Amino acid sequence: MTLPNAPLVPTGWQTIGPFFPRTFFQEADNDLTRLALDAAPTTRGETVILFGQVLQEGGGACVNAVLEAWQADAGGRFRHPADPEASLADPAFMGWGRAWTDAEGRYAFRTILPGGYRDATGTRAPHINLGLLASGVMRRLVTTVFFPDFAAANGADPVLGVLPAALRPKLVAVPEGQRDNCRAFRFDLLLRGEADEETPFFLD
Amino acid sequence: MSSPPDRFGPYDEHTQPQVPIEHYANTVLRNPRRAPFVRPVTRSELTGPLDLASKLHPGDINLAVLDGKPAQGQLIHVGGRILDEDGRGVANTLVEMWQANAAGRYFNPLDQRDAPLDPNFIGNGRCMTDEHGRYGFFTIKPGAYPVPNSNRWWRPPHIHFSLLGPASLSRLVTQMYFPGDPLNAHDLLLLSIADREAQHRMVSQQVPTQQIEGEWLGFTHDMVVRGRHATPPLH
Ligand SMILES: [Fe+2]
Repeated sequence: MTLPNAPLVPTGWQTIGPFFPRTFFQEADNDLTRLALDAAPTTRGETVILFGQVLQEGGGACVNAVLEAWQADAGGRFRHPADPEASLADPAFMGWGRAWTDAEGRYAFRTILPGGYRDATGTRAPHINLGLLASGVMRRLVTTVFFPDFAAANGADPVLGVLPAALRPKLVAVPEGQRDNCRAFRFDLLLRGEADEETPFFLD
Repeated sequence: MSSPPDRFGPYDEHTQPQVPIEHYANTVLRNPRRAPFVRPVTRSELTGPLDLASKLHPGDINLAVLDGKPAQGQLIHVGGRILDEDGRGVANTLVEMWQANAAGRYFNPLDQRDAPLDPNFIGNGRCMTDEHGRYGFFTIKPGAYPVPNSNRWWRPPHIHFSLLGPASLSRLVTQMYFPGDPLNAHDLLLLSIADREAQHRMVSQQVPTQQIEGEWLGFTHDMVVRGRHATPPLH
C-alpha cells in the first residue's frame, strides 16, 4: 500500500523496439554546435567530430541504435538552473544531440570540445555523456567520453576514477585525423563482450 | 516554471525491466555482461537540455488525420501528466510517441510484416508538456502484432513514449498499454518488470464515455520520471 506523501515510483523503462521512427531524425540533430537546423553554429570553442561504431555481442553491428549526447559548452558551463554560472553559458550552443547508427553500426556527432568544471564532487575533466537506446536495450545504457588532450584532468576525474585503472582508457576517445576540417575522435562501443573488451557503462 | 528536480536516487530494480527476455535475442546481444559502475552524480548528470523545441519541433499532436483524411481505426485521445517523484507536474518535457496502425503495422521500412499500411496514418507525434506537466495526443488505437521467431508472442496494443525532461537523469523511454487487453498478461516486455503494481501503472485508464463529448474514446496515462526536490513543494 502506498502511504500518503510517499514518493511516486518512476515508471518502468521499456525498449524503443525496432521501429523508432526514422522521420524523427533531422539533419542537424547530431550537430550540437547549432540550436536548430537553420541556426548559425556557435563561435566559442573548437569544433570536433566524434564518431564511432556500435557493436553487439559477437562483433556484429548494432543497427538502428539511437545515441544521445549531453555536454558542457567550451567554458564548461550548462544553460540550466543547476549550473551556478548558467548565465555565462554559450547562448548559441545546444549541448544536446542525437545520432543514429547505420547498417554498419556507425554514428557521428559534430560538436565543440567541452570544457571541464568544478562542482561538489570535485573537478570534472572535459567529457561528453552518451546515452544509448536500441531494440533489446530495455534501459538506457550510459557511458562517458573523455579526450586524450586532458590526460592530467582525466586522471583526477571522479567519474572516470570509479573504473579499475585497466578499463579507463576505454572511455578516452582516440584521435583519428581530420574530418570536415575539424579534429576527429573515434569512440567505439561494444555493448556486450569479454570483460576486457566490453565498454564500461555506468548505473543510470 | 518551478526549478527542476535536483535529487536522483537509484531505480528500484523490482520496478524496472530485467534482461534477458525470452524470445528477444537482442536483449542478450545488446546488454552488458558486466554490472554497471556506480558513479557520483555531477553537474552533467543533473543538467539537461531545456530548449529542445528548436531542434525536435513539438506540435504533431493529431495523428488521426493526415492531409485532412482520417486514419483507419478507433479514434482515441491519450493524455495525462508527466510527474516527478514528488508528484509535481514536470513542465517543458518533450514527449515523443510512436505506434503501429490499426492493423498492427508500423510506418517504417523495417516493418516488413504482411499487414496493410494505412495511407492516412504515420503514427509519430511530439509535444511539449504545459506548466502542469500535461500532454495529449489524438490518434487511433494501435493493433496488436506478432513478434517474428518468437513462438507466437504477440505484442498487445501499445504506444511507445520517449520523454526528455529537465535533467539527464529524468530521461524515460517506456510503453503504454491499454486496459483489459487479454494480451497484456502474456506480454514478455511488460512481464520483464517483476513488480505487479509497476506493471499495472504502465496500463492506461479509460475515461468514462459519458465524460467525452466528441466521438472518440479517451485514455489517461500519467508517467513518473525520476527526480525529487531538496525543497518540499509549496502546496
Ligand atoms: Fe511496438
